[in-house]
Amino acid sequence: MTTPMLERQINFLDYTLSSLWRKRYKNIAVVLVFAAVIFLLASFQLVSNGLLERAQTALVMAPEILIQKMVAGRQESIPVAYAERLQGIFGIRQVTPRVWGYYFDEVTLANYTVIGRDQVAGGSDDQLTQVLADGRLPAAVGETVLGQAVFRTKGLQDQRVFSLFRPDLSLKTLTITGLFKKESNLLTDDLIVLSLADSRDLFGLPPGLASDLMVSVANPREIGTVAKKIAAALPGTRVLTRPQIEKTYHMIFGWRSGFASVCLLAALAAFFILSWDKASGLAPEERREIAILKILGWQTADVLLVRFFEGAVVSGGAYLLGCTAAYIHVVFFGSSLFLPVLAGWSVIRPDLHLVPAIHLADLLLLFCFTVMPYLAATVVPAWRCASLPSATALQGG
Amino acid sequence: MIIECRDLIKTYQADGRRMNAVDEASFVVQQGEFIFIHGHSGSGKTTLLSLIGGLTSPDTGQVLIDGRDNWQQSDNALSDLRNRTIGFIFQFASLIPALTVLENVLLPMSFGGVAAGARERATQLLVEVGLKEKMHSYPGQLSGGQQRRVAIARAFINKPAIILADEPTGDLDEETEQEIFELFKTFNREQRTTFLIVTHNQHLATTIPGSRVFTMRQGLLKEIQAG
Ligand SMILES: Nc1ncnc2c1ncn2[C@@H]1O[C@H](COP(=O)(O)OP(=O)(O)OP(=O)(O)O)[C@@H](O)[C@H]1O
Ligand SMILES: [Mg+2]
Repeated sequence: MTTPMLERQINFLDYTLSSLWRKRYKNIAVVLVFAAVIFLLASFQLVSNGLLERAQTALVMAPEILIQKMVAGRQESIPVAYAERLQGIFGIRQVTPRVWGYYFDEVTLANYTVIGRDQVAGGSDDQLTQVLADGRLPAAVGETVLGQAVFRTKGLQDQRVFSLFRPDLSLKTLTITGLFKKESNLLTDDLIVLSLADSRDLFGLPPGLASDLMVSVANPREIGTVAKKIAAALPGTRVLTRPQIEKTYHMIFGWRSGFASVCLLAALAAFFILSWDKASGLAPEERREIAILKILGWQTADVLLVRFFEGAVVSGGAYLLGCTAAYIHVVFFGSSLFLPVLAGWSVIRPDLHLVPAIHLADLLLLFCFTVMPYLAATVVPAWRCASLPSATALQGG
Repeated sequence: MIIECRDLIKTYQADGRRMNAVDEASFVVQQGEFIFIHGHSGSGKTTLLSLIGGLTSPDTGQVLIDGRDNWQQSDNALSDLRNRTIGFIFQFASLIPALTVLENVLLPMSFGGVAAGARERATQLLVEVGLKEKMHSYPGQLSGGQQRRVAIARAFINKPAIILADEPTGDLDEETEQEIFELFKTFNREQRTTFLIVTHNQHLATTIPGSRVFTMRQGLLKEIQAG
């Protein structure tokens, strides 16, 4: 009996499409408004995901105190020699220079995060070691450890040696000594870790310079005091503490919860569109149509199936349209609509480049908050109408 | 198909007053009979038809079709009954405006699961009601009488055993009315289709020998002896 069943479904789909087509102007309007809401939400989501990942990377790498050199309000490379000026400050356990930056790979069109540091007891390597899948952190010049995405996009497979371009386009060859864990992809996916000397070489940075200085403190409770002393000892620098960075990180989380409320708002908006649509939709003509269909022998479930198809085409179409537009907006237009909101971020990362992270769970969440209510609001009134005796259609009306 | 109604009562609340739209109607109709129902406006004719067709549930009493009580069946079984056994011709326009004439006629059939030859049959029926040219028009482009004829074609699409017709020729001229009744007679002769027809035209019953006539007055149904 599969063929008649299938034929039945096709007939229902056919009926749905032709009835959608007859009401096409209204349906297109609904799809557009709905897609716009989903577009805003999805853009927001993509951007905040990108930010969150950046923030997490920053946090995992974040030392207790970070010193950046500021010139004309912008961050510049900091001389490693600055560390000597801190020697007198009580409470500092260690000062280690770090280089970091972004490497744009012309071949794979991907942006990698590069971190250059040297192995020092009590340095950032402790954190990095925890997320290492195999091998060891680079100990000598010419060695590197990669994140999974770097390894994958470069197509390395069995190869242990690969090259990157220096700014003058000469090749720099590196040997892989390890990979980061898949589980830590969120943090390490696009990471390339090198020795300090190699990172300077790669970015064409003169010796004696670093991106920032990381300070570890003997007593975590003294972070604030030590930071103040550092700021006094090194005018022209910006001193960031881990609590400050965490605060920014929390701001992102706040933003995320803000996102949740926006989701709710969207659901409300969806309901609003709907009640407008359905209030006019389940008007006499539509009631009459359902009654006629039932009188002609359609089962209640058939009526609901058609309404479901209708709702699915409209809301599913809007969902796909909105999500695609959001992706294009973020990837190809650099989320230009949200730039004003993002501006505050330059405190931690001056050139914030967002690679949107697409999370199935988030897409699902968005789906639940937009498509599901729409479907429910399409099917439920039809169900109420279809399960009533249909005599009223006979009386005229 | 035998239709049997037992003590049917349907009460409506109107202006705070209860009134019996159908008041203790009982009768039996055999397969292939022609039944005419006359009565003033508001006497309960449409209500009676919708009780028989399983569109309205009676307050008390039963409708048995081949011994099976309409309202003891599941909603789906009732849908099936309406789809396969009963053809409805409504008093008022009952076409779906979003569908063409042909699609409207096909509606009961395409969803009953028997699609083979459906289009041919629908086309043939439209020829018989004189609307071949309007096959691909939309109901909004037809006159009231033409829409009525589409509804008539649709009622026959599944070869139902019973036709419930509420003023089927109310807005047709005499000549067209005559053609439609010829069509009814043909179906009655060839397929032993049972007809229950509500009409104001007292004359029609005399053109069909052996037909029975009922009158309704304030919900009370009474059979009058055909002369
Ligand atoms: N859904 C309803 N709610 C309340 N009263 C109703 C309803 N349907 C019918 N009635 C009442 O029941 C009575 C019978 O109505 P019905 O439609 O059966 O009359 P009818 O004989 O078909 O009239 P007509 O010849 O004008 O079509 C009328 O008084 C009508 O007002
Ligand atoms: Mg009536």
